Parts: sequence; C-alpha cells; structure tokens
Amino acid sequence: MSGSVPLCALEQVVIGHRRGRPLTPAVSLEVRQGDIVGVLGPNGSGKTTLVKTLIGQLAPLSGTVRLPVERTLRVGYVAQGHRPDFAYPLSVLEVTLMGRAQALGLVKRPGKADRALALAQLESVGLAARADAPFRSLSGGQQQRVLVARALTAEAELLVLDEPTSEMDPAAEHALLSLVSGLSASRNLAVVFVTHEISAAAGFATRVVLMDPAAKAVDVGPSSELINSEHMTRLYGRPVEVRRESGRTLVWVSGRDEPGATA
Amino acid sequence: MSFWDARFLWQEPLLAAVIAAAVLGYLGFFVVLRRIAFMSAALSQVSGLGVAVAFFAGSFLGISPHDPTPWWLAPTTFALFFASAGAMLMALVVRSKRVSSEAVVALSYLAAAAFVMVVLASPRIAQEAHEVGDLLFGNAVVVKRGELVQLLAAGVITLVLHALFFKEFLFCSFDPETAKVFGVPVPVMDVLLHLNLAVCVAIATKALGALPVFAFLVLPAGAALLFSERLKPVVALSVGLSVVAAALGYYLSWTLSLPTGSVMVALAACFWAVAGIKRFVELRR
Repeated sequence: MSGSVPLCALEQVVIGHRRGRPLTPAVSLEVRQGDIVGVLGPNGSGKTTLVKTLIGQLAPLSGTVRLPVERTLRVGYVAQGHRPDFAYPLSVLEVTLMGRAQALGLVKRPGKADRALALAQLESVGLAARADAPFRSLSGGQQQRVLVARALTAEAELLVLDEPTSEMDPAAEHALLSLVSGLSASRNLAVVFVTHEISAAAGFATRVVLMDPAAKAVDVGPSSELINSEHMTRLYGRPVEVRRESGRTLVWVSGRDEPGATA
Repeated sequence: MSFWDARFLWQEPLLAAVIAAAVLGYLGFFVVLRRIAFMSAALSQVSGLGVAVAFFAGSFLGISPHDPTPWWLAPTTFALFFASAGAMLMALVVRSKRVSSEAVVALSYLAAAAFVMVVLASPRIAQEAHEVGDLLFGNAVVVKRGELVQLLAAGVITLVLHALFFKEFLFCSFDPETAKVFGVPVPVMDVLLHLNLAVCVAIATKALGALPVFAFLVLPAGAALLFSERLKPVVALSVGLSVVAAALGYYLSWTLSLPTGSVMVALAACFWAVAGIKRFVELRR
C-alpha cells in the first residue's frame, strides 16, 4: 500500500442491489491516499456496484463500509459512459464549477474563489484556455479531462473514474490516465478506476481488484502480481497472454494476431 | 373602438398572458433540456381532470359551476392537487427506469383525457359541460382577477425557488448521477422542479388554455437553444421570446380578430422557425 492515511474501506462486504442476489462473495479493500486501484472484470461482474458501494452511494448486502466519521469524504466522480448531453448550453467553466456543489451546499452560488479554483483545475488538465468554450464543442478526450477537472474542483481526496476511457482512442486513453496518474502523485490523491483495458490497469494501477463472477471470486492485490496470463485467462474466460517487456505490458487476446494493447 | 381605447377590456388578460409566458418560458428551459415536453401536455390534462372532478363533487352538494365554492372544493384546488400528484407520480415512475418516460407521460395524458370525458358526460354536470370545458382549458381572451393573482403567485414561487436552487436544478438535469455523488439531494430537487412545473401548468392552463401553455413551455426554449450556446442568453431569450409571443399574439389576435391562444402559439412557432433557419445558415458556412 503506497499511501499512509486510509480514506475508505470495505470489510467483508457483499455487494448487490437491494432485494437482488449477491454479485460477489465477501470482499475487503482499503483505499489509502496516493493509491491507484484498477477494477477489472467482465461485463456484469459488479465493477460499478463495487465502486459505488465503496464511496457510500450503495448500501452493501452485508459487511461494513468504513468511511471517515469526523468529516465527509470528498469524492470526485466521473460516471460510466458519461455522454454529455449536447443540448445543454454550458461552457467548460460552468461544467467544471459544478464540482463545487458539495463544498457550497444548497442555495449558495459559486463566487470568485470558486471560479479561480475551477480555472486552476482546468489549468492542471491543460484546458484553461478553453474555459469559455461550449462544453459540447470539445472532443471526447477533452470532455473527459473537463470531467476530471470538475472532480478535482470538488477538492477530492478520492477520484473515482468508471470506465473513463471507454470511448477514447488509445492515444487519448493513455493521455488521460497519464494525467490522472501524475495528479495522484503530485497531490497524494487516491484514484479508483474501472476499466476493461488490461494494459491500462497494468500500466497505471498500483493495485487491482479482479471481479470474476464465473469463479465467484474477487481477488485484490498488487497489479504486478495479479495481472498475468493465468489470472486474465480465468477472468475473461478465454486465452489471454500477458507479457512485460521493457517496462511495457503486452496483452494478447485469443483470436488476434497482434498485441491487443500495450502500456 | 381602437385597441388602446379598449384597454380596460384587455389589460388583465394581457398581463396574465405575459406573466404566464414569462414563467412558462423560463421553465421551458428545463422542460426542453430534460426532454419532458409532453409531460406538460399531460399535466394540463391531469389538472383539467381535477377541475372536472371538482365540479362533479360539487354537484353532489348542489353547487353550480358558477356559484362561489369553499376553497377545498374550488376547481383550482383540485387542479393543483391533481397536477401535483400527477407530476410526483410521473417523476417517481420515470425514476424507476422500468417504464420509459414517454410511455408514462402518454399513459397519464390518455387516462386523464378519457376520464375528463367520462366525468363531463355524467348527467350530474352535463348541462354545464360547455362552460366547464371553457373553465377546464381556459380562454386567453377573458381572464378573471383571481386567476391573475394566482398566476402572479405562481411566478413569485418560481422566482424564489429558482433563485435559491438554480445551481442544483441545473446539475441534477445535466448529470444526476454525479450530482448525487457530489451531495446534491437529486430526488428532492427533481420533485421540487416537477411540483413547480405542475403548479404553474395547472394555474396557467385554467387561465389561458392548454395549447398556449404547452407552446410557451416548448417553443421559446427550443428557439433560444438554437439562437445561442450560452446559458444566460438562452434563459433570457427563452423568457423574452415567450413574452413577445404572448403580448404580440394578443395584440394581433385583437386587431385581426383571430383566436388569441392560436395566434400566440403560431408566433412562438415562427420564432423557432427563424432560429432554425439561422442555425442552418451557420452550419452551412
């Protein structure tokens, strides 16, 4: 574990939707400052349910979710498959300022200090120059960076990204995860990201959660130990070969001639 | 008699139309962006059902539609109650995600329209059905003082509510999932906004009629979104175009002897057409 201060934890938690069947066996996971945790698993394995349970948005079926008691954990969130509604006439800055919702509370409106903070976060994702541009005019990768800036504007201690790169090309995906990784290092920010990209988890996560519904198992551990051919083949139910070469991770998935992804 | 000389006749109806247009034009910003345009049409029908039920209930107590009624039996009370309950139900059922929102809205519209006909066909109020129909869906030419006061109250409520919670309404509309994580009480805000819409639709429908109310909620906001890409100009344009359609529509209907509500709607539709042409030209450049 890379960080020192624990932010939230699952203790023998069984996740699932109310009145529904359990999605996983009991799982324990602690997230500390500076951690980067990747969550991998096939469709329907409960990845989104797990992260929503971790941040207190969903109640567990059993077990304990540990959140700070003396204060509210500041969570930045980028939702799964967030497709911005292009009808909304919002500027990049106005979207970013939504991140102040929790800090401001009800009724109070953002002031100069909030705008300055939002602009600073846009600067950190390289989009300060586009603050006044319509949000819908940005590319998909830029919009995701704005949503990360919005999460940072919440002065988040924990950044949760649910499949943030699902609609991105590999270059934009790598750029976004590099950015998040850099922010985590410079701000001691904890990051939990859900992904289908094995190479992304291998390249950026310090720890991974493997959610395997077929084996009814959830494995938690260092990415260097769990992201290997054996685990990935079992997880996805088809032959997957993982090789590490010169600091990069190469992934072959059965049926492809070329590496499926690199990191 | 010139238009100006007849001002004692049109002052109050015109003022009512302008107030309703301003409020509905503003709410239209959320209605269009949340894609609940037909919810307003359904709410008009549901509030109409409330009025019909009030008359039906009154008939059991021997109260004519033209007689003064106690507040708890007043058509406005029933219209507000039915519209609010309908809005809450629609909001809750839509949130359940098991039924599509358009199916829920269609069900509400059809059920309310059918029950209105059934209630009006009752022998207890059949003789007053024509007058009841006028009361159900308004008449923009003649607006009572009481309706003007109700519209003003609805306007003030909307103003206060949105002065307090505009930030929350916008976030919940744009990205409810993230808003919830960021601590915004999304269900409460949704219910507040729907109730606000229901109250305004119920009161405005009774004063102006269902067609202008539906039009003010959809057409100016739709045009404004084509005219501008900025939040404040879109909101201002939505209100402004709605008010112009109401005021100019009233004037034209008077001077050209045309149906008032229809002229207002036609003008609002023209704004959308102009905005559409502007947008088309911009895209072709």
